[in-house]
Amino acid sequence: MGCCYSSENETQEQRNERKPLIPHPDPVSKPPNGTDWITTSVPSAKTDEQALLTSILTKTAQNIIDVSAADSVMMEQHEYMDKARQYSTKLAVLSNSLPQRKALALPSLTSQPHQVLASDLVPYSDVQQISKIAAYAYSAISQIKVDAKEELVVQFAIP
Amino acid sequence: MTAALTAGLDRIPDQLGYLVISEDGVLASAGELENDEVTAGVMMQMVRTASRFRLSGVAEPPFKRMSVILEDFVYTVTVSGQKVFVVKRQNNQQEPISV
Repeated sequence: MGCCYSSENETQEQRNERKPLIPHPDPVSKPPNGTDWITTSVPSAKTDEQALLTSILTKTAQNIIDVSAADSVMMEQHEYMDKARQYSTKLAVLSNSLPQRKALALPSLTSQPHQVLASDLVPYSDVQQISKIAAYAYSAISQIKVDAKEELVVQFAIP
Repeated sequence: MTAALTAGLDRIPDQLGYLVISEDGVLASAGELENDEVTAGVMMQMVRTASRFRLSGVAEPPFKRMSVILEDFVYTVTVSGQKVFVVKRQNNQQEPISV
């Protein structure tokens, strides 16, 4: 039994769909900018310090996406078009198989509508409080912004 | 059938008019809302939107009545048996609501 993302039965087409535009560099087989990892030349009897450095290096390599290495896999215009067509076909097929989701059935809010409608109106103070809270929330949301603290793309100083 | 739906609606305090709406349109109307298809459409949309809100872990909408509060009057809206009931009531609360 496989999980949702089980790739056992994946076809070539499916694999192609999920191919990222910027491939994640494999730290072992494809080091960024062709620098050789120290791991290959480390003697078998590693010191603790070297092991630590290696783990730091590996971790860093896993956390970066090498933008400069992505140049080589730039897609041609027609490839973009092909991908776009492929995705829209797929979406069309999927949306056909979805159940028609027109207007949802009305929920039942009460079994005694007359009683509910005849009960006292919402007190003015409650309405005022809700208006105030909503105004605060609106103000808070409008002040959310991205605070860019560091560069998204950084140059690694490789000697 | 219609009488059973509307019986009691005209006895609601300060009511100025009412609407009973189904998926297919207005079933009954009276007073200031008599044949008011436009208000019926708007209220239908508003109550549909409002009833999509759910509190986490609760299957039913967390309210019984929706109130649309304006300076002089209030629309009170509820849903029962696949029908939307709208009653327009006078707003006797003195202070205006500033938003």
